[in-house]
Amino acid sequence: MNTTSHGHSLGQPLAIAGGIAALAVLPFLAGNAYLEHLLVLWMLYALLALSLNIVIGYLGELTFGHAAFVGVGAYTSAILSTQLGLPPLLGLPLAGLVAAGFGLVIGYAALRVVGPQFAILTLGFGAILFTITNHWVDLTRGPMGITDIPPMAIGPLAFDSARPTYYLVLALVLATAWLCHALVGSRTGRAFLAVRENAPLAASLGINVFHTKLLGFVAATAIAGIGGAIYAHYIRVITPDIMGVHNVAALIIVVIIGGRGTILGPILGALVYIGLLESLRVAGPLRMVIFAALLTGTVVFLPGGLISLWQRWRNAHKSENNLPATPTGLPSTEGGAK
Amino acid sequence: MDFTVFAQQIANGLVNGMAYVLIATGLTLVFGVLRIVNFAHGEFYMLGAYITYFVGTLFGLDYIAAAAISAVVVAGLGVAANKLIFWPLRRDHEFTILLSSLGLALLIANGGELLFGADPKYVESPFADEVLEIGTVTLTQQRVLVFAAAVVALVAVYLFIRYSRFGKMMRATAQNPDGAALTGINIGLVHTYTFALACGLAALSGALVGPTVMIFPTIGNWAVLKGFIVVIMGGLGSVTGALFAGLLLGVIESLGGGYISLGFMEAIGYAMIIAVLLWRPNGLFSTARGLR
Repeated sequence: MNTTSHGHSLGQPLAIAGGIAALAVLPFLAGNAYLEHLLVLWMLYALLALSLNIVIGYLGELTFGHAAFVGVGAYTSAILSTQLGLPPLLGLPLAGLVAAGFGLVIGYAALRVVGPQFAILTLGFGAILFTITNHWVDLTRGPMGITDIPPMAIGPLAFDSARPTYYLVLALVLATAWLCHALVGSRTGRAFLAVRENAPLAASLGINVFHTKLLGFVAATAIAGIGGAIYAHYIRVITPDIMGVHNVAALIIVVIIGGRGTILGPILGALVYIGLLESLRVAGPLRMVIFAALLTGTVVFLPGGLISLWQRWRNAHKSENNLPATPTGLPSTEGGAK
Repeated sequence: MDFTVFAQQIANGLVNGMAYVLIATGLTLVFGVLRIVNFAHGEFYMLGAYITYFVGTLFGLDYIAAAAISAVVVAGLGVAANKLIFWPLRRDHEFTILLSSLGLALLIANGGELLFGADPKYVESPFADEVLEIGTVTLTQQRVLVFAAAVVALVAVYLFIRYSRFGKMMRATAQNPDGAALTGINIGLVHTYTFALACGLAALSGALVGPTVMIFPTIGNWAVLKGFIVVIMGGLGSVTGALFAGLLLGVIESLGGGYISLGFMEAIGYAMIIAVLLWRPNGLFSTARGLR
């Protein structure tokens, strides 16, 4: 074997480049529109899960309100484009801004408490946003939802079908993944992890715990808002259900099953979620029972998620070759919260 | 007259609030004694309503007997959930426990949809159509029963915690589980009793409220949300706090629904907790460790 430490440092960028290339050719391998549609859904869930992972994985706080911010982004862009005729391309950053605004206000109130209280408070805030969306019929058309949302377009390039949308979301997923990677290596990111591991100790080192958490929360909600807007312009119909408990649970399931606190985990989790969701379509309500069992099973038996299986295998493989079984990259800096 | 409407709103609010208190008391007990945030608590409320319905329609038992059976059965299910999930995880991080209780909630809610069907059901009660007039206020007998039975149940729970041997064991565990274990208290038994009590109360609430509304398998979401709001507002682990916060939430929702907007009724209630939490982040009756 030729996996010296030098070869490894070269191997990682190669592996990443290979992965991106594989993702880029995927739509051509899919062959039909239905599979391409599933690819878009995969990337959308990966994007949303990556944003949720900032809160769950890096900050170590459980939020039950994330779907509400996805909804805020989706509704912002949908209303701007259907009622004011704003081009969706402008609506996209605005959706992120508005969702971040909501995230700032809600985070400011909710991050005063931690742990279970925070989780419950975000659930309450999510419920408020859902109720308002459901009842403010003049603005959101209530339970009827908004229909005929125009597709996203950049100049002459319209994202009105699955394949172009896939590349758009893929680009955003890669950007977010890179952002998370850069974050974890940065001073701010290390502050995130310090706050996750031991908040009082982090505070004693001069880290402003509240501001650090608020920053992470707002960044997560901004990305969620952008993801929501893309969803709205792709599916072209949105109802308040996008903010419902069902979607909250789905995003948490994706992050936990994939592996929280890692970059590949949420992407892998989204693949598993969408894959199972579609292949078990005949099972009906049994699907959610299966997902619930998977969630509980993962939490209890595999706290690091599916991605930790790969890390485990790689560490075992290394020790076989008498190489130091260093927890390379992922486990040391981004390993799942205990 | 305006006052009549106002009194009616207050009465309606108190009845709704009392149902919230019943749900929240179980939640706050489980948290106060065992430090477990049980996301699946609302599902026991749902099961309470459904078992009352099925015992009533399938076995032809009268409403009161059906409600009692349902409370006992659900208490047993709560003990089973504790044995299977919460007891084995007791040394794990709160994150793990919260997530597995979320998994359990999804499991019961979707399993319920599979077993019971998604269509709404209506729990039969002989009191649902009879009206009682108290001064200028008109309530159905069922709603009076919700209030009265809840008061009786809460007084019983209070006396149980205050004076019974098991109540004292629960309070000791709440203050310091390790210390309690050292004095010979069987912590496993305390877990079992607390879950039986909490889930029984949730089921009782479901059985009582069932005849006043339509029931469907997703009402657990609603119940756990209301319960959490009350518990957070009152202070996690505080039974007194749950009582005041529950009644307050019921009355404010009712007044908000009556005078401002019915659609936004729920949002008004949620907005209230935010106001309370900005003022007192740990709730109105926040406690250090221990059960108040």
